[in-house]
Amino acid sequence: MAGPYEIFVLIKQVPDQGSKAGLNPDGTIDRAKAKRMLNPFDRYALQAALHVKRTYGGRVTAISMGPPPAVEILLEALEHGVDRGFLLSDRRLAASDTLATAYALYKTVTHVGKFDLIFCGLQTTDGDTAQVGPQLAERLSLPQVTYCEDFHLDDGRLHARRIIEGGVQFVDCVAPALITVANSYHPLAYKSFRGAWRVQQLQRNPEELGKYIRTVDLDIIQADPERCGLKGSPTIVAATEKVGELGGNCSMYEGHAPDEMVGELIEKSNLKEFLVA
Amino acid sequence: MSESVNLAPPSDGEVLVIAEQILGELQPVSLELLGAGRYLADKLGGKLSTVILGDNLGDIPKKLIEYGADTVYVADDPELRTYRTLSYRRVVCDLLETFKLPPHIVLLGSTTTGRDLAPRIAANFETGLTADCTELDIGPYEHKSKVDPSKVGLYEGCLYAIRPSFGESLKARILGPWKNPQMATTRPGQMTPLAPDANRVGKIVNIPVKLQKEDLRLVVAETVREVSKGVRLAEADVIVSGGYGLGSKEGFELMHELAKCFENSAVGASRKVVDLGWIPYEHQVGQTGKTVRPKIYIACGISGAIQHRVGMSKSGTIIAINKDPDAPIFKFAHHGIVGDVYQIVPELIRQFKDKLATKGEKTVVHTH
Ligand SMILES: Cc1cc2nc3c(=O)[nH]c(=O)nc-3n(C[C@H](O)[C@H](O)[C@H](O)COP(=O)(O)OP(=O)(O)OC[C@H]3O[C@@H](n4cnc5c(N)ncnc54)[C@H](O)[C@@H]3O)c2cc1C
Ligand SMILES: Nc1ncnc2c1ncn2[C@@H]1O[C@H](COP(=O)(O)O)[C@@H](O)[C@H]1O
Repeated sequence: MAGPYEIFVLIKQVPDQGSKAGLNPDGTIDRAKAKRMLNPFDRYALQAALHVKRTYGGRVTAISMGPPPAVEILLEALEHGVDRGFLLSDRRLAASDTLATAYALYKTVTHVGKFDLIFCGLQTTDGDTAQVGPQLAERLSLPQVTYCEDFHLDDGRLHARRIIEGGVQFVDCVAPALITVANSYHPLAYKSFRGAWRVQQLQRNPEELGKYIRTVDLDIIQADPERCGLKGSPTIVAATEKVGELGGNCSMYEGHAPDEMVGELIEKSNLKEFLVA
Repeated sequence: MSESVNLAPPSDGEVLVIAEQILGELQPVSLELLGAGRYLADKLGGKLSTVILGDNLGDIPKKLIEYGADTVYVADDPELRTYRTLSYRRVVCDLLETFKLPPHIVLLGSTTTGRDLAPRIAANFETGLTADCTELDIGPYEHKSKVDPSKVGLYEGCLYAIRPSFGESLKARILGPWKNPQMATTRPGQMTPLAPDANRVGKIVNIPVKLQKEDLRLVVAETVREVSKGVRLAEADVIVSGGYGLGSKEGFELMHELAKCFENSAVGASRKVVDLGWIPYEHQVGQTGKTVRPKIYIACGISGAIQHRVGMSKSGTIIAINKDPDAPIFKFAHHGIVGDVYQIVPELIRQFKDKLATKGEKTVVHTH
């Protein structure tokens, strides 16, 4: 099978930690108020999925699990050239840990249908675990390539380079497979004018849009609610504690001439103690 | 206190560390995990075991005992020479199936291997897993939320898996006492290994390797690891480290020049510049490079990504030079200059030379 490929890409909407909006005094995020964005790591996964489509042909389906506003990132994916999107949204998914999330995504993936490749981001900026991809691969009994930096396909065979401690590894396997894409892969290309325009047209016509983006719930995908949300999660966050600025307070030297800032640094730090005699 | 029943699953308090080797070289994080695992096992009154997979493992099992393991399970087979998700997963899952009671706790390193393997094992056993812990402990936990009545109760001997969350501004304590094993990965450099003791006694148990055809679906064509060629990052008192902000390979000449101002110094680098070929791998600091603890770490044009930080955050004094006042490195540096490396570093070198010159004069005065 030399293409076309059926390509899935898993993307998540996360709070924008760069903006101060929606940050509670204790440092936790008020998800209702926080600005939202596409998980930065998933941009690489999206680029990888689109690369396969453009190079070898095929169809890209973006899949996300999250509250209704997550439809925004599916629209964004369409603007970038993704063919269709599925959003799994259900109140019973609240407080899912990675195991429950991977189960729900597994049910979604099998509901959507057959695939050759599934791309995931390396990790999310809110969950920050890098677990969901491999846990999904386990459910689907797939081989996986994590920390993938680059790859090509050769007649249905995936050849990939992945990061390891102290180097890289070249691996290959036959599709279907799940790949988590490292942030050293190519950055997401700019949206095409055509893609953005198409999505604009679609948004004016909800019925037409419904053909491209479908929202599903646990009943539709036939997932067991007992295995989702808080109930299906073997872990909970029992306590959080604010850690002030990491490593203490940074003395900043800013806005002065270099010689002044450097002089002050040498004065205040312990650099002098280590100078060659 | 309400009267509650202890609902924790039966356990003999065993802690299992999944040790890791690359091309026959035992990874330091495994020894750190044995240190943490020993502490947890002692607190639970259980034993500490470890499993190592590879080909021709030689002295490694013995070394694992010296560092604290009571039992070492050894899977030695040519098929296990290089880490592969499915074959390693098979051997570890098979081993866990043979336990009468599942281990209380299973630990792995947050390395590219540990983060690849741990979620597969956790998903297979439908158990909890906490990634990238910075602290581990044991303690009680009372679950009061009635969302799931079957979980309410007081639990003893829970694994406290403590990790940063929400962009490192919070520490979260994550628990999963309802099911064993309770699993966690820890970041390299976070836990402290025990001093090795050649007289420690322990058991070495060879375990069977029964791979199935589907476990061999992925082929490792090549593993490229650059071996250290005597860049003394580990022993240096002062490390001058350069990142993408240097703009070009030539920037490292400036790094070397600054390093020369200090006694016992070395030059480090971020992964990005190593990948670009500006400097060889043996200079790389971070998760997939070296973990360093110099007395002074000077980061020049380095943003401070988490994978870099885990390799240097334990340095005595961290000095950052970056032209972006919002660069993450300023969140954990001790001194930060907001400015262009090409203005700041030459000025640093100049002022050091001035200082040395005046020092020199003084010495001359004294000898008279
Ligand atoms: C699995 C995995 C493992 C990894 N392992 C490692 C690892 O071991 N070590 C590691 O370092 N990274 C590692 N990384 C990569 C890491 O995520 C970052 O991409 C990398 O550390 C960034 O390097 P940098 O800070 O040099 O570059 P950038 O993030 O691009 O930062 C450059 C900085 O320079 C500043 N700058 C630009 N010009 C100037 C100037 N003229 N003067 C002053 N400042 C300037 C900018 O403001 C910016 O902050 C790993 C990534 C993955 C996925
Ligand atoms: N709710 C979600 N919806 C879709 N994909 C997800 C979701 N959560 C995690 N993923 C995928 O799994 C990757 C790793 O996430 P994490 O384990 O949370 O760090 C992400 O980059 C996504 O590709």
